Amino acid sequence: MEALELIGLGKTFGEEKAVDDLSLSVPQGSFFGMLGPNGAGKTTSLSMAVGLLRPDSGTAKIFGVDVWDEPVQAKALVGVLPDGLGMPERLTGREVLTYLGLLRGLPAAEVDARTTELLEVLELGHEDDKQVIGYSTGMRKKLGLAVALLHAPRLLVLDEPFEAVDPVSAATIRTILNRFIAGGGSVVMSSHVMALVEQLCDRVAVVSGGKVVAAGTVSEVQAGGSLEDAFVSLVGASTRGAEGLAWLSA
Amino acid sequence: MAVGLTYATSHTLVRMRLAALRHALRDSNRVAWIGTGAFLGLVLAAGTVWAATKGDTDLVAVAIAVWMLGWVVGPLFAGGGDETLKPEYFTMLPLPPRALSGGLIAAALAGVAPLVSLVALLCLVVVGGQLSVGALLISVPAVLLQLLCFVLASRLAVAVYAVLLQVRSGAVLAALVNAFILAFTAQGWALIAAFISTDVQGTIARGARIAPSGWGLVAVEAAGRDDWLRVLLAVAGLVVLCAAMFVAWSALLVRRTTATRAGVRVRRQLTASDSRGAAAAKELRTWARDLLYGHRAVFAIAYGLFFCMMPLAVGWKGMLPWAGATAVVMGGAMFSNLYGADGTAFWSTLMTPRSAQLDVRARQRAFLLVFGPPALVITLLLTWWSQAGVWSLVLSILPALLGGATGLIVLASVYAAVPTTDAHKRSGNPLNAGENEGETIGLVYVMLVLVSLTAIPALGAALAWSWWGVPVGLASGVLAWWYFGRLAAGRLEQRGPELLTLLRHGRTTVEHADKASLSSKMALLPRWRRYLAGFCLGFGAIPLFPQAVVPAIFLLNEVDARAWFLALYVESRWQWPVIIGMALLGLGMYAYGGWTYWQASKLRPEAPPHLEPETQTP
Repeated sequence: MEALELIGLGKTFGEEKAVDDLSLSVPQGSFFGMLGPNGAGKTTSLSMAVGLLRPDSGTAKIFGVDVWDEPVQAKALVGVLPDGLGMPERLTGREVLTYLGLLRGLPAAEVDARTTELLEVLELGHEDDKQVIGYSTGMRKKLGLAVALLHAPRLLVLDEPFEAVDPVSAATIRTILNRFIAGGGSVVMSSHVMALVEQLCDRVAVVSGGKVVAAGTVSEVQAGGSLEDAFVSLVGASTRGAEGLAWLSA
Repeated sequence: MAVGLTYATSHTLVRMRLAALRHALRDSNRVAWIGTGAFLGLVLAAGTVWAATKGDTDLVAVAIAVWMLGWVVGPLFAGGGDETLKPEYFTMLPLPPRALSGGLIAAALAGVAPLVSLVALLCLVVVGGQLSVGALLISVPAVLLQLLCFVLASRLAVAVYAVLLQVRSGAVLAALVNAFILAFTAQGWALIAAFISTDVQGTIARGARIAPSGWGLVAVEAAGRDDWLRVLLAVAGLVVLCAAMFVAWSALLVRRTTATRAGVRVRRQLTASDSRGAAAAKELRTWARDLLYGHRAVFAIAYGLFFCMMPLAVGWKGMLPWAGATAVVMGGAMFSNLYGADGTAFWSTLMTPRSAQLDVRARQRAFLLVFGPPALVITLLLTWWSQAGVWSLVLSILPALLGGATGLIVLASVYAAVPTTDAHKRSGNPLNAGENEGETIGLVYVMLVLVSLTAIPALGAALAWSWWGVPVGLASGVLAWWYFGRLAAGRLEQRGPELLTLLRHGRTTVEHADKASLSSKMALLPRWRRYLAGFCLGFGAIPLFPQAVVPAIFLLNEVDARAWFLALYVESRWQWPVIIGMALLGLGMYAYGGWTYWQASKLRPEAPPHLEPETQTP
């Protein structure tokens, strides 16, 4: 059984096809990277995969459970870090975790212990009396990751987990995710950072124009070269910046 | 140099503002809002000019004062004013503050609302034209200065408010002032009659001429009498006032774009031991820590008190028992967009299995906890004080309203959510939460009516059987709380992802499809029916409000002004029949329009069941 399966997902906003018949499967125990240029449909696909955005066509399954037919069972199995969404802004980080943990039905003592540990490891513990509205972008990311991990899910779906995170915290997050994989968990993450994906992931998919243009193990997609070269040739873009802009160096 | 730079900045910002307006006009939903607002505004503006053609300058003075009050209070009440161009966009430009604020004011003038106000202010030209050539000439600068005065006063009020809302005491103070102004607008006649004179109309007109809103009219009238000293004083007064407001606003703008926003320090950490408690604790902390929540709650309660206590000035205690009920109705209207206000934070509820019901009930409990005890205490104390002997009435409707409000706020929050900008992405204007201020204001008014309606069963029972109204009120309150809450939770379970998409991407992407299909379905109806339905929805307000509700209020209060109220021109025994007829006509027009749209929504574009598709003429 696959950890996550996207089956013919499609979504149209107005006239624009954001995601077009997109299918993917993420095997259990894999660290899966989703690559794509800006506006390729990564966030839209991941939102549809976890139940945050209703697809026009197709569906998604988490460990075989259909996200759109049995949302309650599916949502218990997955931890999600969405990109750029709000939080209960008037709570402190500790309170957000306490609130969401209790809302998921975890026992109070367990929530308390996990919250303390997560805040400690992610270096958010010293900001105990700060409301989320005062958090920096990086702190928001780290708190979002703590929310995703809190109920010890079997699958993590992370949208740009390393964006705006400082290098020390990034190293911490890498370690946490590697331990999660070693313990039998599965991770799907989207990213722009090729080096990071190359280093962390064992499988990747390249999305462009709402479609999967390549998928497989990292070495399969790299096809001998670097992941970055493969990516650039796959999405059909040419790097620019060498010509024009003469006034910049004048 | 500075003038040239200000001019160039203004030119660019006006072009940006117009470009944004052009884009807004491409979105059918926003066009509907802008169109409705502009239409209502133009009707009122036409009324103002009409008053001027009748030569009733007292009425003109009051009307202009009401326009200015609208500019000042409107943004505070909902929406925070138009902020298409936020000052934050331009902080990195190497511009002196005055050049930027000058440009922003120029851009603020390039919109629909200033244009509508300009039409209204043409009443000054009409007044001038009736007096003399000199007065006519003076009326032109008077109109322009008065308009500038409106816009500057509006911006300054919002800026002062924004500063106040950064500290708890300021938020409370702003709520009290706002509540007093709004209650005074409705009940001020009582104060005037009590303290100043019994010549209510004359005093209001005199006051309206002394207020800055009347200075333009004073200048025009003085020019008609060749009293050029007064002309000079009035015009110079406007110029100085505008300059002073501009300088103050510029200074506050610099503060807004450079100061950091302090959050409220956390006093008590969230402690709860189960999911129910956690949901309630989170909601109550939001009420306690978000100054805008606290501000609105204080406003609603203070409004109820002020509104019902002002007639005390004329020694009338009859309204006292209703203060608690008024506060609850206002509270329901102020908190009818809970999910919209929280924005995309809703994802965390959506991703947590089985949390919709808990979340909805927690929001209801928080509202009940905030408004229930004060409303009850106010009602008990003031009813006792009033000696009015309406105990059974107030105690019947209070539980009905509390239950109705707690039910309707979650229902409206789920079914009619208005997207706002996420809290962590907002600008320095705490009142401005996105581009949907029209919808926000609309929702407030609709909720005022809907929440009031929930008292009807209890009121009817109490009028008919006295104390039997209390159990009826309790039952209807509990029923509304339970049933509307259940509907809201069910909708959240079923359509949560759609709500999140709405809050995330705004109205355009989500409901574009639905809206487009309704208009395409409307196209299936014969053209005369479409036009008639549009006409009925557009003009139904005229017989209903100005020709029925307002003259009814005038009749009840024995106000001696007939203006353009048809009912007040006929013989007294026909006055009530005319009013009732007009009300029925208005309601009938709305009903016909709504019924037509409802019928159209049932049609299928490919196979209209009983109506011929209209042949399109090229």
